[in-house]
Amino acid sequence: MNILKYILKRIVQVIPLLFIVSIISFFIIRLSPIDPLAELRLNPSISQETLQKETQRLGLDKPIPVQYVKWASAFVKGDLGITSSGEKVSDKLKERIPNTLLLTSIVIFMTWIVGIPLGILGAMFHKSQFDRLLTIFSSIGMAIPSFFFAILLLIFAVKTSLFPVGGLTSFDFDEMSLGGKVLDLARHLVLPVTVLFTISLAGLQRQMRANMLEVMESDYVKFARAKGLSEFKVIFKHALRNALNPMITLLGFEFAGLLSGAALTEYVFQYPGLGRLILEAVMKSDINLVMASLMMGSIMLVLGNLIADILLIITDPRIRN
Amino acid sequence: MFKQIMKDKYASAALIILVIMYLMVLFADFIAPYSKDFADRNQSYAPPSKVFVIDENGRFSRPYTYNYKREYIPELYQTVYTLDRSQKYYINLFNRGEEYKFLGVFKTSRHLFGVENSGRLYILGTDINGRDVFSRLLFGGRISLTIGFLSLFILFPIGLIYGGISGYFGGVVDMLMMRFAEAVMAIPSFYLLIILAAILPSNMTSTQRFTLIVVILALIGWSGFARVVRGMVLSIKNEEFVLAAKTIGASRLRIILKHILPQTSSYVIIAMTLSVPSYILAESGLSFLGLGIQQPDASWGNMLKEAQEYINILYRPWLLTPGFLIFIAVLSFNLIGDTIRDILDPKGQIRE
Amino acid sequence: MKKALYFIIITGIVILILSFCLHKDTSSYDTEIKCNACDTVEKYPLNKIFPNPKTVTIKGTDYLQSQLPVGEFGGRLITSTIGEGPKTFNPFTAKDATSSQMAGMMYDGLVTSNPVTGEVTPKLADSIKIDGNNYIIKLRHGIKWSDGKPITADDVMFTWKDIVFAGLGNTSVRDSILVDGKLPQIKKLDNYTVVFTVPKPFAPFLRQLTTPIAPKHWFTSIPDWEKSFDRILASTVKPDDIVYSGAFHLKKYVPAQRVIFERNPDYYEINLKNQKLPYLNQVVYLIVGDLNNEILKFEAKEIDTIGLRGSTVARYKAKESQSDYAIYNLGADTGTMFLAINLNNRKNEKNKPYVSPNKQKWFSDINFRTAIDYAIDRESLVTNIAQGLAVPLFTSESLNGIYLNKNIKGHKRDLNIARKYLAKSGFRLKNNILYDKYGNKVEFDLYTNAGNTERESIGVMIKQDLADLGITVNFKPIEFNTLVNKLTNSYDWDMSIMGLTGSPLEPHNGKNVWASNGTLHLFNQRPVGYQIDDRLVWEKELDNIFEQGALKLNFADRKKYYDRYQEIVYNQRPIVYLYSPTRIVAIRRKFKNVYPTTLSGILYNIEEIWIEK
Repeated sequence: MNILKYILKRIVQVIPLLFIVSIISFFIIRLSPIDPLAELRLNPSISQETLQKETQRLGLDKPIPVQYVKWASAFVKGDLGITSSGEKVSDKLKERIPNTLLLTSIVIFMTWIVGIPLGILGAMFHKSQFDRLLTIFSSIGMAIPSFFFAILLLIFAVKTSLFPVGGLTSFDFDEMSLGGKVLDLARHLVLPVTVLFTISLAGLQRQMRANMLEVMESDYVKFARAKGLSEFKVIFKHALRNALNPMITLLGFEFAGLLSGAALTEYVFQYPGLGRLILEAVMKSDINLVMASLMMGSIMLVLGNLIADILLIITDPRIRN
Repeated sequence: MFKQIMKDKYASAALIILVIMYLMVLFADFIAPYSKDFADRNQSYAPPSKVFVIDENGRFSRPYTYNYKREYIPELYQTVYTLDRSQKYYINLFNRGEEYKFLGVFKTSRHLFGVENSGRLYILGTDINGRDVFSRLLFGGRISLTIGFLSLFILFPIGLIYGGISGYFGGVVDMLMMRFAEAVMAIPSFYLLIILAAILPSNMTSTQRFTLIVVILALIGWSGFARVVRGMVLSIKNEEFVLAAKTIGASRLRIILKHILPQTSSYVIIAMTLSVPSYILAESGLSFLGLGIQQPDASWGNMLKEAQEYINILYRPWLLTPGFLIFIAVLSFNLIGDTIRDILDPKGQIRE
Repeated sequence: MKKALYFIIITGIVILILSFCLHKDTSSYDTEIKCNACDTVEKYPLNKIFPNPKTVTIKGTDYLQSQLPVGEFGGRLITSTIGEGPKTFNPFTAKDATSSQMAGMMYDGLVTSNPVTGEVTPKLADSIKIDGNNYIIKLRHGIKWSDGKPITADDVMFTWKDIVFAGLGNTSVRDSILVDGKLPQIKKLDNYTVVFTVPKPFAPFLRQLTTPIAPKHWFTSIPDWEKSFDRILASTVKPDDIVYSGAFHLKKYVPAQRVIFERNPDYYEINLKNQKLPYLNQVVYLIVGDLNNEILKFEAKEIDTIGLRGSTVARYKAKESQSDYAIYNLGADTGTMFLAINLNNRKNEKNKPYVSPNKQKWFSDINFRTAIDYAIDRESLVTNIAQGLAVPLFTSESLNGIYLNKNIKGHKRDLNIARKYLAKSGFRLKNNILYDKYGNKVEFDLYTNAGNTERESIGVMIKQDLADLGITVNFKPIEFNTLVNKLTNSYDWDMSIMGLTGSPLEPHNGKNVWASNGTLHLFNQRPVGYQIDDRLVWEKELDNIFEQGALKLNFADRKKYYDRYQEIVYNQRPIVYLYSPTRIVAIRRKFKNVYPTTLSGILYNIEEIWIEK
């Protein structure tokens, strides 16, 4: 019962949060001097009348607070409006969000599979040469500018023709068998995943290492050791569980970090994800599109944290109090 | 602490590299053979100058170089650079070149090295406008290496005070302040960054633009930092020495500034060194997208933008140098940051 | 011991770096220019001339017959489109080039332009007769929409009357055929004949007949079709529902990735063996974000054809002889790069001048503008920025335009002439800084859109060019949107570097730029509904030219007008033209029946292109 109450409380807390987010973003965007119709204005064959029609359609002739109220009331009803080029925002998001989720979940999965064991190893061999090397390697991964790394990998793809040059699927994707489709997706995902994996691995490994170290210093681990359990048992039976708990909180943050971090990578690899969409939308000041993708990003982020919190409560009874 | 850093061989190497980088950037006017705007339009994308120490007769000689001659072959649509052997240009130390203000104080025209005026010495080739990449790297480094620091100097006071007030007062103030901070945190940071950068007023001088980008970078990071500070303040504020200060009758602001915030200094130092690199990366990402530092100013990010073209990577690898410098600078900061963390916080108690 | 080891390692590294930097002076550093391919270069104009298809009647159907060699059927061509991909497939609501192009694949117009000469030739129409102000159009008999319904005069009436004249969707076509505020009349004579009557002779009208024809029965079958017009053929349309007339039809649209078109099995064009075209089974457009990604895709053989720019051309040219593609140099492109000067001398609502009065005096001074023109080094712009793949430009019509005034020869950079013009207006040089006759330092802002490496580099060079005259230029690349807002709305700019794509066939399309009330009259933009007549003398003449030029039907008569307009622009220099890029295209050699032209590019006859196995 307590858990349910807590979850409900958290969900209720999320609503004002999203409200503030929407206000902040809306006003930032609308205060900008950027003209959403710029591209049309510079097209010699577009007439004044067409421009006026567009202005009215986008509500650009109304004061900003009015525009916000209009936008917000529609948003609550689930109507995300249309883009500056006349497409439904919800359609565009529907295309992109699954792609972004696919990419980020693969990256998170990979980093956990590799990062957690490396973190444990780092803690087990604390202060040894091996630990030091791990730290250095993770530092190197963190230091490469993602877009630079992505560009180099693209060139690698062209030179070796091992991997396709950007995108998510091949042109003949629809004609492939199921196995072929999976393989095709995998081939396209290798490079972007490599970039994001390299960048985010370091943080996870460090965090896990720090958690392990902390837990291994704790009284009950000392007690377990004193009982004469083998070091292997101490680590995997007692320390690991407790060190993993705080990592769940990190899951939410990692998800958020990836959402941002993926934007540049998606841009270079021409990956049809949310990051590239928002980048293009910002450049054109496509208000509805920017707002919707910002809100989606924020909602995904908040949801990620929420799920992490809930998971934490379930796994770690201490928090409930 | 310095001694402890020097004990660690990776951290000491990193520190030395960073010191060299900052010194070179500081004395950029002197070290760079050209100013950041010096352009020879007949030398666009010229390869690095060849420096010879053994002359054509096989004898040792003072280092010298030849100019490049540019030819366009219309049939091949190709521009070719060949060595113009008609004149040797000896490389002079303390060469007389363009006039500049040394450290902004006195005027001089001496540069660390260079060739006489009609000669061209491009140790890392040129960019599309025929500007010396090496010189621009140094001037660009001024921006790329300082922008992160400057933002931190804005961000940390804001974060400290915000977190301090929120944590100390608690209650409704805390609730409201934290909701706002959380809202800012809930916007994916890079998205917020590009939106803010995209709305920068356009008619700005490069200094104004630089300042505003610093401010924007600071706006992204303060909320997370403030939250951690608040958490720390919450735990500190019930310690005895704070209660003691309260009973003496010290003002709240004084308590926050004098008694509580200093307790967070370890965390601040660690967080600072560890966040400088992320700001360097953020700046380069912004400039790469064309939203950061703009031409004709140089930053490592906007120089790298030119390098992303496939042809440039294949045939003009010298344009990639800013990427490696970003990498080395960030790596060095990370290594030092790790070591400082180990020193100040050996048990890894402080978390971000 | 350890220290010694470090010392050795460090000296080792230093020696390594030095040996990398320092060289022995031998002849091996002299690059030899290899030119084995030089003599085999194909020069433009290409020796192949594209033969126009003819009409042949077989069993009551008026087919269009391709006159090109007969090829084999099957295969696919993969090409690319830069940007975000099509936003709609509706040819009447499309506002961007990509959407129009994709919609154009599926819907033919009554006429089309000859790819070589630009003449108007029949497409869906069998013939066009011009009788005074009447355009009598006879349709082909027996040709069908994809669902088997015949294409008749009703469809033409529907398209023009109910869509274009009614102002649905993008009203650009409608606006461009308004003569004195009046629209042409349209009348159906019989099921296969339609007559358009224009109120006055109006030359640009004929080319507007390239507007695609819509299937009446399909459009009107959609409930409330007029109100939901924007949603007809929207990007989310189900491909199977589409009723089309073109050589290809939409098979699948994967947003941000690709658009797949498939062959129309019942198209009305046939080859010399009377087999139905097109040859290709599929045409795939990959959606690529930028030029760089496009090149990578071509290099990785993911796409079959590409437009090449700058130094990439050299790479592909050098490898052409051992590769599977051929490169065609099509000459100067329709694109123009220019420097616009703000002549605006009006005030905004707050009674503040858009441009500061000092600057106004300079910019409105023809001597000053001429000096600027003479100071710009176009040759260097071409060799450095366009890597030699451009042609210096002095006219407002593009170099491949059929109305180009060939008498305007232009000039080389000449600082002496520039200085003479400045001196004429009393500008003086003091300590290498230019002052006007009132003693004001000559300094202004130069804008362009940030992120465009080409334009940013031009800005850097122009800044230097003008510095030679003692002029201080503050070069400011700004966000594209912000720049456009300045140009079309707030007018607070001094000079800016821009590019526009002209129409090589119809100078009247430039009316928006040159007419004093045009929406793109950048250099002296007036707000919408501006009533006061403050036109400059030559602006009046330009207004007159664009009005009169459209009323003449004969090419030679029209050319006189448009020659004069180019002369005025050249003499007055409100816009200083810089260069036109050269259009260079590459296509894999397995594709046959490829006849690239400067006007239409490479894929205009996509239905005739086939793959040699």
